[in-house]
Amino acid sequence: MANVRLYIVLLLIVCTACTHRFDGVEDNTPIGNMECLWRTLDDKYCYFEEKSIDWQKVHDEYVPKVKSVRSGDYLALFDTLANMVNSLNDGHVNIYSNFDISRCDSWYAGYPKNWDWEVVKNYYLTDYRIAGGAYYNTIADGQVGYIYVGSFEQVVSANNMAYILRSFKDCKGVIVDVRDNGGGDLENAYQLAATFFRQDTTVGYWQHKNGRGHNDFSSLEPQQLRKSKMPSTWLRPVVVLCNRKTYSAANFFVSIMRYAYNSAIMGGVSGGGGGMPLSYELPNGWTVRFSSIRMFDASKNSIEPGISPDVFVEDDPQTNQDEIIDAAVQVIKKCYKNDTSH
Amino acid sequence: MLIGLILMVGMVRAENVEHESILMLRFGGSWRQDQYLSPLLYKGLMVGIGNEWWQPFRKETKLGQAGKLDNWEHVGRLDVRFDWTYNPTQSNVLYALQLQTGWGANYVWRFVEHGVQVFVGPYLDVSGGIKYHAVSVNKPISLDLMVSAQAMAGVSYAFKGKKTSYRLRYMVRFNLIGVDYMPDYWQSYYEMYEEVLGKVRCAGMWNHRTLHHELTLDMQFPHSTWRVGICHDYDEYGQKNMMFSTEQVAMVVGTCFRYKLNPKKDFASF
Repeated sequence: MANVRLYIVLLLIVCTACTHRFDGVEDNTPIGNMECLWRTLDDKYCYFEEKSIDWQKVHDEYVPKVKSVRSGDYLALFDTLANMVNSLNDGHVNIYSNFDISRCDSWYAGYPKNWDWEVVKNYYLTDYRIAGGAYYNTIADGQVGYIYVGSFEQVVSANNMAYILRSFKDCKGVIVDVRDNGGGDLENAYQLAATFFRQDTTVGYWQHKNGRGHNDFSSLEPQQLRKSKMPSTWLRPVVVLCNRKTYSAANFFVSIMRYAYNSAIMGGVSGGGGGMPLSYELPNGWTVRFSSIRMFDASKNSIEPGISPDVFVEDDPQTNQDEIIDAAVQVIKKCYKNDTSH
Repeated sequence: MLIGLILMVGMVRAENVEHESILMLRFGGSWRQDQYLSPLLYKGLMVGIGNEWWQPFRKETKLGQAGKLDNWEHVGRLDVRFDWTYNPTQSNVLYALQLQTGWGANYVWRFVEHGVQVFVGPYLDVSGGIKYHAVSVNKPISLDLMVSAQAMAGVSYAFKGKKTSYRLRYMVRFNLIGVDYMPDYWQSYYEMYEEVLGKVRCAGMWNHRTLHHELTLDMQFPHSTWRVGICHDYDEYGQKNMMFSTEQVAMVVGTCFRYKLNPKKDFASF
């Protein structure tokens, strides 16, 4: 019996081991969540200086607003915090909850749409094929190959591209359309772009935040694009089409393709989204996603504001034509005529 | 396959050598905080399987004979644990898989007439694991890695029941010095596994505190030996304002395989 008592006493000692929460974690109150959100972004968001945002002023503006939120009114708190983070004007900054996802649309508001999938599908891509994440067919009487990639969530592999380009073997050039492509996996963007490079190339740089100051960044880290493992590279003209909703990984793809062989960018200014996103939790379990790593093109220019095309073309939404594709076809025909390498 | 590996490591050890091999299952509660991923304290459950073996240093001991006992023994262990923990609002789940292994040597003081043994010794611990944030938008991951020299100590008390022989053992182990992996505060999830070596730092009691202690009761029946117990693990480390902690309290159920031990010899007879 004495042994049993001893066992129970020791067991209780073990079980009283304490688990503690570390200091510096705000309480799950409206103001605690707001402070956690503000501090997380203050520490880790990478575009305060580039966008000339006075984040302290935003804090001071929103403290009274959050304090006026009634306890338990989670919708009001969510909307208030969403408005606060939307002042960053960044499509990569979102708050995720079980009932809503905040989003910022000011970065594309006021720009021409420059895209109509119904027109492209009905008048250009008729009887198209799908390889991985790419819709493709020849257009302009078989003279130009056309590939539409609407998202980089799905891969367009080297194998997919080998089949696609084989079907374009008699074409004078190819159009890679990434309009309204909201991004996805950077690796997929690299993989698609690799088809159009003759050699390994430094296509951009990354820079990490490495401290709490708004200007605390690591040195620029070069990003290398490896040439495709496909036996041959596409050497004929390639035109990339983009619009303002070409965002994030697609924006990076456009930035990369400026360094591809025989390439041109056409359409409108791309959307940007040059910050690699990270995420973090708030005390109430909501998640905030934010840009944390700055990306630059090979000339060390920030790609956050978007990429300006080599040739600006605007689509007329009143017509059943896609003026941007039409212009790209003309450019390819002209380039092909002038290019003696084929 | 994992269970097979654990069994193999525990049992294939020196067939001709007197030793005990204990296969154990653990189940209990887990508390985690990983400020690389979240400021919140996560709570949930854990399960684990492991093997522990105890063995005198000499190959053919005369244990219990000629009045001469070997005062050094060594102990090894291999543990695999999986836990799933939730944030306070149950809106996110953190999965963690951990592997722990190690080897230690104990100097043993025996107080035969009282059935008591006291042991103290060094222990080399190797542990690591990955944590995966399942619901969060970017599906982030985090990493634990540590190799450390630890101090181990314990006491066991053997006594006889009517038909059963018992051994009650309390053992504690804590980190003295080693190396661990500390993710860069600003490192992205995409680079978690790049340049791991560049993020390895010296870890001692001042910046990485670990505590493992367990209380077990071994029961030797005529044809088999079984273990029940409770264990508590605590691990805390960090840098700047980013802290990590894991705490687990688990029930232990196991079975002992006793090799080359005199079948008539029970826990209380030494």
